[in-house]
Amino acid sequence: MTAPAATMQMRQTVPDLEVPAGLVILARAYWPEPGDGTPPPIPGFIVSSFSPLVAEVARRCLAAEPTVREVPSTADGAAHAAGRRTAIVLASRYGDLASAVQVAAAVDAGTRVGPLMFFQAVPNAVAGHIAAHAGLTGPIVCLSPSADPPAHTIALREALAEAELLIADGDADEALVIVAEQAGGTGEPDRAFAMLVGRLDAAAASPGRTAGHLPAQTPQGGAG
Amino acid sequence: MSTSRPAAQAAHRAGDTASAVIVGMAAVSAFGRGTGPLLAGVTVGEPAFRPVDRFSVGNRRGGVAATLPETPDLLDELATVTEAACQQAGLTVPERSGTTLLLAAHGDPRLGRTAGPDRATRTAAALAGTVAVRCGLAQPKAYTNACVAASTAVADAAAMIALGRADRVVVAAGYLVESDQFALFDAGRALATDGQVRPFSTDRTGLLLGDGVAAVVLEAESAAQRRAVAPLARISGWGRSGDGYHVVQPRPDGAGMARAIRAALDRAGIGPDELGYINAHGSGSAQSDVAESAALHRALGRYAAETPISSTKSLHGQALEASGLLELVVTVLALRAGRLPVNAGYLGPDGDCKLNVVVDNGQTFDGRYALSLNAAFGGANTALLVGAA
Repeated sequence: MTAPAATMQMRQTVPDLEVPAGLVILARAYWPEPGDGTPPPIPGFIVSSFSPLVAEVARRCLAAEPTVREVPSTADGAAHAAGRRTAIVLASRYGDLASAVQVAAAVDAGTRVGPLMFFQAVPNAVAGHIAAHAGLTGPIVCLSPSADPPAHTIALREALAEAELLIADGDADEALVIVAEQAGGTGEPDRAFAMLVGRLDAAAASPGRTAGHLPAQTPQGGAG
Repeated sequence: MSTSRPAAQAAHRAGDTASAVIVGMAAVSAFGRGTGPLLAGVTVGEPAFRPVDRFSVGNRRGGVAATLPETPDLLDELATVTEAACQQAGLTVPERSGTTLLLAAHGDPRLGRTAGPDRATRTAAALAGTVAVRCGLAQPKAYTNACVAASTAVADAAAMIALGRADRVVVAAGYLVESDQFALFDAGRALATDGQVRPFSTDRTGLLLGDGVAAVVLEAESAAQRRAVAPLARISGWGRSGDGYHVVQPRPDGAGMARAIRAALDRAGIGPDELGYINAHGSGSAQSDVAESAALHRALGRYAAETPISSTKSLHGQALEASGLLELVVTVLALRAGRLPVNAGYLGPDGDCKLNVVVDNGQTFDGRYALSLNAAFGGANTALLVGAA
């Protein structure tokens, strides 16, 4: 499948998807967009496109959401606690497949495993990268979704359900929901989707957000 | 300080009939199969670490882990403990078919060695699906968020019950020490270099891996009463948070973990003076023990230095995705028995970890509440508060 076709498929799917009751979509972003090649590398992550893919789609999503999120003070725990708690829910059926393959090959051949591979062996690491850069202080949850075609619909549904549970339960105020799968030799490229969701009632109360509507689609990849 | 919660959540207090109780529980650890050997192991206090013979460690810096003597099959062990927990809970076939399974696992180590469509059978999702089918459970959901995967699943299960969305939820989790994670931890220089895990101690050198497979059945108290099943314990509170600080390191001031602890206490409606025991995350690594200690002081005030605390990772090892559930079972067993698990490997106090570490075995306690903590890469934190049944 070509990159534009993959994006088209995702764009067609998402509007049909019901966002769980009580939540509103604040922003969303896709990978790949037309013109995308490989995701920009991120420091400390090597070998595999998985973490760069997740980090880039998250960056695009957060850049598309107009409200500036107060970065918690690292010196004052009280400010840290009082900030809006944004969870990260990362759903990937296979996770970082390329890293798993590389580590398995090194172990089986008896060759050296690079120390940086240790950090990226679990999806928490890229979630932590996103959380640190954006000041997100909600829970981090990673899921391996069951998949029937179209796989990303199932994954997104499960991830949104988790986001809704975290918010309804009271441990998060918003959630950055990310679905990502690496190219697995099935002809589809690396692909990811990110959606920032929040409480419908909070959005209605906040100036600058339109409850129940998506913000106007901003050009992807260009914003800071 | 916690953000104000909607009034609905404030209703979840101990004794509320939507609160979750544990009605079935099973575990496998390096101490053996069953909760009996596990309780004996953590209260006697002799670590289960032994030379690794499951795979070659010849080119690794260390070669020790807490393992069962043989090489069990993860799927079989998960299915067995899940079945045992469901049987203890007395669940009928129709009840099981309406019960969600939440399962925490890394996935199948064979994933990186499988090509083509067979890969689909090597995911954590596939593992959860197969366990659900074998045990007659529904809607499996697989958690992969590393060392808080299992504890997050427990918190989610308790939340589902408290919100009235489920009468009961089964949570299962499993990790068996294998070559790939061992190689990664070794490469990252995370493993202890002296064959011991020494949480909160001077001269601690790191963590050691351990086998852990466990399952619990959580149920709304009112539903358990209708079925006339006696609860083993209750999940009185829970909390999940993120540090928002670093890719892998925890916040040194413990602020993120402190919020998770406060959320757990707030949900239960209790103060830190009511804690009888803390089962720490306590990986035994240089920085995370300090961060956890800071979190405890921030959340519990003077009670941080008074409440008995131990990390049983010093005995059964670090069971990765399963650690939260294995350690929850340890905490429930300790609370029921009134016996304090030991913090093994302790050489002496670390000035940055001013805690009441349980060094000697044979100690008892009679508190009604115990706290189980877990932290993971990405700054993820969970706190589970266990209450007497």
